Amino acid sequence: MLAALYCAGTFGGSITAILINAPGAPPAAATAFDGYPMAQRGEAGRALGMAAVASVIGGMLSLIVMVLAAPALARISHSFGPPEYFALAVFGLSMLASISGKSPVKNLIGGAFGLLIATVGVDLTTGVERFTFGVPELYEGISFIPILIGLFAIAELLSQANVRDKVLERISLNAIKLPSATDFKRVWPTILRSSGIGTFIGILPAEGSTMAAMIGYNEARRWSKNGDKFGTGEIEGIAGPEAANNAATGGSMVPTLALGIPGSATAAVILGGLQIHGIRPGAYLFENQPDLLYSIFAAMFLANVVFLVFGLVGARLFSRISLIPRTFLWPTVFALCVVGAYGVNQSMVDVMIMLIAGFAGFWLKRYGFGAAPIIMGVVLGSLVENSLAQSMIIFDHDAWRFLDRPIAIGFFLLAAFSLFYQPVFGWLRRFRRPRSAASKGAK
Amino acid sequence: MRHWMKSGLLMTSLATAALAFSATSGADDFPSEPIEIVVHTSPGGGTDTTARIVALATQAQLGTNVYVQNKKGGGGSVAMSYVKSKPADGYTVMAITPTHLFTMLRGNSQLDIDDIQGLARATDDPIIVMVRGDSRYKSIHDLIEAGRAGVIKWGGTQIGGVDHIAAMSFAKAAGMKVSFVPFDSGAEFAAALSRGDIDAAGLNISETRDQIAAGDFRPLAVMADDRMKALPDVPTLSEKGLDISFSTVRGYVVLKSTPKARQEILEKAMLKGMESDRYQNYLKGIGLDETSIEGRR
Repeated sequence: MLAALYCAGTFGGSITAILINAPGAPPAAATAFDGYPMAQRGEAGRALGMAAVASVIGGMLSLIVMVLAAPALARISHSFGPPEYFALAVFGLSMLASISGKSPVKNLIGGAFGLLIATVGVDLTTGVERFTFGVPELYEGISFIPILIGLFAIAELLSQANVRDKVLERISLNAIKLPSATDFKRVWPTILRSSGIGTFIGILPAEGSTMAAMIGYNEARRWSKNGDKFGTGEIEGIAGPEAANNAATGGSMVPTLALGIPGSATAAVILGGLQIHGIRPGAYLFENQPDLLYSIFAAMFLANVVFLVFGLVGARLFSRISLIPRTFLWPTVFALCVVGAYGVNQSMVDVMIMLIAGFAGFWLKRYGFGAAPIIMGVVLGSLVENSLAQSMIIFDHDAWRFLDRPIAIGFFLLAAFSLFYQPVFGWLRRFRRPRSAASKGAK
Repeated sequence: MRHWMKSGLLMTSLATAALAFSATSGADDFPSEPIEIVVHTSPGGGTDTTARIVALATQAQLGTNVYVQNKKGGGGSVAMSYVKSKPADGYTVMAITPTHLFTMLRGNSQLDIDDIQGLARATDDPIIVMVRGDSRYKSIHDLIEAGRAGVIKWGGTQIGGVDHIAAMSFAKAAGMKVSFVPFDSGAEFAAALSRGDIDAAGLNISETRDQIAAGDFRPLAVMADDRMKALPDVPTLSEKGLDISFSTVRGYVVLKSTPKARQEILEKAMLKGMESDRYQNYLKGIGLDETSIEGRR
C-alpha cells in the first residue's frame, strides 16, 4: 500500500513541475527543466503525456529487474561504501558544467553555490556547527524542499510578476495525449537508458530518485542529437528524468528492505511502516520472506498501471490549470508554496529559506544562472564531503587506497570521460571535418 | 499568544490557546483533548516509529486522540524549546533519547534535566561491541589488546552523539586508541562493518539480530550492567572491570510542573498500552523484550 503510494507520488510531483514550474517533489525537479518550457509553448498535454508514459515504462522495467534479480542487486547495494559513494558523487559533479544549455562557467558557479549551501549545518565528521548562526533549525542543514520550491516556483512567480504589463497570451491547450509515434521513436532509447540508470541509482543506499532523475536528465542530454536545445522544452528532457526517477522507486526498495537504509524520505516512512508490522529489514528478509517482497513489488506494479490511467485522464483536468488567468493562478501558487515549505518540518524557518531561495533564484535567473546546477550542488554537496572524510579515515588518510576499490575506479573513469569527451571528440572532429566539408562541397 | 505566533506554530497555536483555557478546569476530566507526543526527528526513524506505536497503544487506553508531532532539528533542541513553550498541562508529551541529554549538557537547550519528569520508558537497547564474524578479535580482550598496540577503526553515528561518546568512553577506560568513523545511520555503519571498512562498531541488537544469528557479526561485549536475555553468553563490560554502560533509551517525559494526578494517568495509560499485543509485537520485531518497559521509579 505504502509502496504503491510511493510510485504514484513520484509522478504526481511532475504534474505541477510541468504546469507551473513547481516540482511537487524533489525527484520532479529535473522534469521542470524542459517540462515547463513546453507548457509555456502550449504543449503541456504533450509533456504530461510523455511524463506519464516514460514514468510507467521506467517503473515497470525496474520492477521486472527487481523481480528477477533482487538478491543479486542487494549484494551490489551492499558493496557500496564511502569510497564508492565518493566516486559516484565525483561522477555526478563532473556533469555540472554541462547540465544546462547555458554558459558552462555560470553552471560551475551555480554548482559551487549549491555546494556552499550544502555545507550549512553540523559537520558529520567534526561535530562543528557551520553557518548556523545559532538557529537550531539549521543544525541539520538547510532542508532541500524549501530550496526547491523557492528556486523554481517562487522565482518563476517573481518573473511572472515582472511581465505583468505584457499582453497575456492565453496558453492554447491541447488535450493530453499519448506520445505520437514520432515522439515515441525519438525517446525510446532515452527511456531505456534512463530506466537502467534509475534502477541502478535506486539500489544504492541513501541515494534514490532525485539523483536518478538528475543523472537521467544529463545522460538524455549527452546522447541526444538536440542536446544543446535542452532546457528550452525538449521532449527527451522529460522522458529522461521521468523514466529514471520512477525506475529508482523500484530500485530503492532493495536497500530499504535489504539493508534497512532507506533510499529517500518516502522509503524511510515505508521502513517505519514495515517495522510497525514487526517486519525487520535486513539481508535475510529476501531469504526468509520472499512472498512479502513479491507482494510489495506486485503493489508497485499495480500502482504503475493505475497511475498511467489516472495520469492520462486526470492530467487532462490538471492541465486546465494553465487556463486560469495568471492574476488568480500565481497568488494561489504562492500560498500553496508557503504551505508546502512549512509542512515538511512544520517549521517557519523553512518558509524563510524558501523565500530567500526564491529571491536568489529570481536574480540568478536574470543573470543567466540556471537552477539545475545549484540543485545538483545541493544534492551532492554533503555526500561528496562526508564520503571523502569517511573514506580518508577508513584508508588511514592514504588517498592512493581508492585504487583498491574497483567500483570506485570505474566511476572515476566515467567522471574523467564525462569531463574530457567533449574536448577529445572536438579534436577528432577537427580531423574529420575537412573531408566531410569536401564531400559536401562536391554535392 | 504573540510568543506562540513567533515560534512559528500558526496552526497549532490556535489549538493550544483553546487547550490552555480548557485545561485549567481541573484534572477530573483529563484527558479531554488530544495529546501530542513531540519527536525530535523526521518521520520514519526508530524514535518516530516507536512513538507512533506508543501513541496508538496509549490512545486505546485513554479514549482520546494521541498523535505524533515532529519538531526536527538541533539534536532535540527545537523539540525542547517547543515543549517549553507549551503549558504544563499534560497534553504535551516529549519523546526523550540520550541525544536530548547531550544537547542539554552542552547548554544548547532551553530545557534542563530538572525541568522534566519521566513518565515511561519504551525501549532500552544496550550498545553491543561488535566485530565481523571472521574477525581475528575473538574476545573483547583481543580487541582491547589490539587497540593498545595500534588503532581500531570504530563506526558510529555523528560526532557528539551517543555512539561517539560510548566508543570514546570505552576507549579511554580501556586505554585503547580508536579512530572514529561517523555515518548517517546505524544501518550504514552496520553495512560498513560487514564490508570490513571498519574494525568494530557499537550496535544495538535491534539492528543486528539476524547477522549475529547467521554468524556475520560477533558480539564481544554488552555496554550494560547486566547480560542481555537475548545474548546470555556475551559478557558485559562491567564484568571486565570497565564501568561503561550505554543504551539507546527511548522514553516519554512531561514538564515537571505538570499536575501529579495527570502524570499518573499518562504513565498508567502508557504502561498499559505497551503491554498490548501491538506494542509487544513491535518490540519483538526489533529484537527487544518486555524488560524495555519501565515506569517512573
